[in-house]
Amino acid sequence: MSQLSHQAPWRCALQGVREAIPLLGGYIPVALSFGVVATQAGFSTWEATAISALVYAGASQFLFVGMIATGAPLWLVVAMTLLINVRHVVYGPNLAALLPRSRHWPWLMHGLTDQVFALALTRLPQLPEATRFSWFVGASLLAWGAWIVGTTVGATAGETLTARWPLLGEIMPFALPALFLTMVAPRFTDKRWAVAMGCTILAALCLNLVGWSNVAIPLAAACGALCFYTVTFETRRRTS
Amino acid sequence: MSTALWLAVVASALGTLLMRVVPFLWMQRRLNSESGLNNMPQWLGILGPLMIAAVLGVSIVPVNPSVVSWIATAIGLAVTLLVWSRTRSLGWPVAAGVAGFGMVEIAALAW
Repeated sequence: MSQLSHQAPWRCALQGVREAIPLLGGYIPVALSFGVVATQAGFSTWEATAISALVYAGASQFLFVGMIATGAPLWLVVAMTLLINVRHVVYGPNLAALLPRSRHWPWLMHGLTDQVFALALTRLPQLPEATRFSWFVGASLLAWGAWIVGTTVGATAGETLTARWPLLGEIMPFALPALFLTMVAPRFTDKRWAVAMGCTILAALCLNLVGWSNVAIPLAAACGALCFYTVTFETRRRTS
Repeated sequence: MSTALWLAVVASALGTLLMRVVPFLWMQRRLNSESGLNNMPQWLGILGPLMIAAVLGVSIVPVNPSVVSWIATAIGLAVTLLVWSRTRSLGWPVAAGVAGFGMVEIAALAW
């Protein structure tokens, strides 16, 4: 542990890069799709890339270009984009105790997406404190870079790529559920957590299937939390 | 893109960034304060792992849902879990899961 904590920052950043590679399986196909959708909606390659670099939030970006294309008022476009991203509010506080203080957080937190949060919350507690900052920089910058490059490629040659390798866009995204499964699996050793996790996964899956994908994450997590507290209450009643 | 549209992009970007940064800095300050509020609220610690489970639930749905893609998903997840139970790592289980999922998709296409 002490040897690890004395590693050069770039080594720790590289470790973050390496561990974030599975995220690309999900990021690249979605970024390619966004590039295609944005150009079809009338945005140039440069504009689509700028949206990806600045907003950097998948679902809300699709909504943004979609609403603009239909001629929705700009204030409504911004309000809806922010509403979809409200879930990010709970991510930061969960990582606050795991990361050191730094004056760079105001811009580094730009990289805190759903996937980076999930990876960081799982990996940071296992890393020495001194390496966590660099690890986060490496992991989040790789994901951000892949998202931007994916959008640019999608906007310029997305339709050609998906036409040539149609299965690419179907197989690669499976890296995301596989990665998240390895993250939640350790919690299934505890019965209370297993019930809450199972309830959350099922709720998110159902909400997504009925088309409520934008609110699926916070709503499903709220269902799971309710389940977590209810199970405790029932156990106490039985034992008393 | 017009100036108004650029402003909309900047407003969306800034608002999203603030939602990511402000709660993080607020909690870091709270954890290091001398007011006695040195612990993260319990509900927040529970919500974190549940958010990951929710992201898993959302991402399980295949890109093009069909009987084959759902079977491939089930097999891919089973392979991921199997390899994870042996290695307890992140990389290999994901690679094996994607390979399992991909093989079912390709086999179904060839068949």
